[in-house]
Amino acid sequence: MSLQIDPSMIVFLISSVGALISALLVIEHKSIVYASFFLAMLGASNAALFVLLGYPVVSIFHLVVYVGAAVTFILFSVVMLKETPLVEFRVRGIALIAALEVLVVLSIGFRPLLGSKLIGGVISLKEVSDLLINRYGFALLIAALALATTMIEAITLARREVS
Amino acid sequence: MMTVYWFLMTSVVMFCIGLYGLLTRRSLIRMLLSAEVIFNAALLALLSTASISQTFRPVGGALALLAISLAAAEVGVIVSVAILMFRLRRSLDVYELGGE
Repeated sequence: MSLQIDPSMIVFLISSVGALISALLVIEHKSIVYASFFLAMLGASNAALFVLLGYPVVSIFHLVVYVGAAVTFILFSVVMLKETPLVEFRVRGIALIAALEVLVVLSIGFRPLLGSKLIGGVISLKEVSDLLINRYGFALLIAALALATTMIEAITLARREVS
Repeated sequence: MMTVYWFLMTSVVMFCIGLYGLLTRRSLIRMLLSAEVIFNAALLALLSTASISQTFRPVGGALALLAISLAAAEVGVIVSVAILMFRLRRSLDVYELGGE
């Protein structure tokens, strides 16, 4: 008798556990630099989950733009800041209750999808780019403008004033 | 057999961790990092639900690409605000943002 193990299930288990541990370390690690590093780990684990869902294009984009640019930007910026731990101890109980409430409500809400299987195959770059250009052209333009504006805004805000 | 439900449950737990971090931290950068955890959870939920239907699958991918671009823009703005705040107040405490 041979035991059949689905390789995608192993990848899912490793990625999801890795993502959740990274998420915990992002909020609980004492050093803000290591917390940013664990956010990058969370992004990489999420990218692996996107591949399992059949979105390799989104996964690569997430790795390049989000992990490679945004999180690295945070990582290199926070080394300039000296952080003292500021934890709101009074609301810890309330925050825990709120988080557990959301967990229970969403778990019950998603219960009907328990039997929903994933559609096989992958989304191609052509399919997504056709949709972005033909159907979401205006949204794409707004996203491009937002990125350009952010670049200018970041330069203006972070510029050291010379007296 | 792997179903969409387990991807959604991963995203729900991730969302709760981010929510807890957002409610309990007072540092601007810590709040940004918690909000990014919530963003990752939301993105995973979007792609999980989109992968149920053949019709909505490419739409989910396109929306995810736009969301990632806008998240990168948002990170740039908040980190710039944090740097500016640190220069002016020598602190990242959000409670000190309002007063003069």
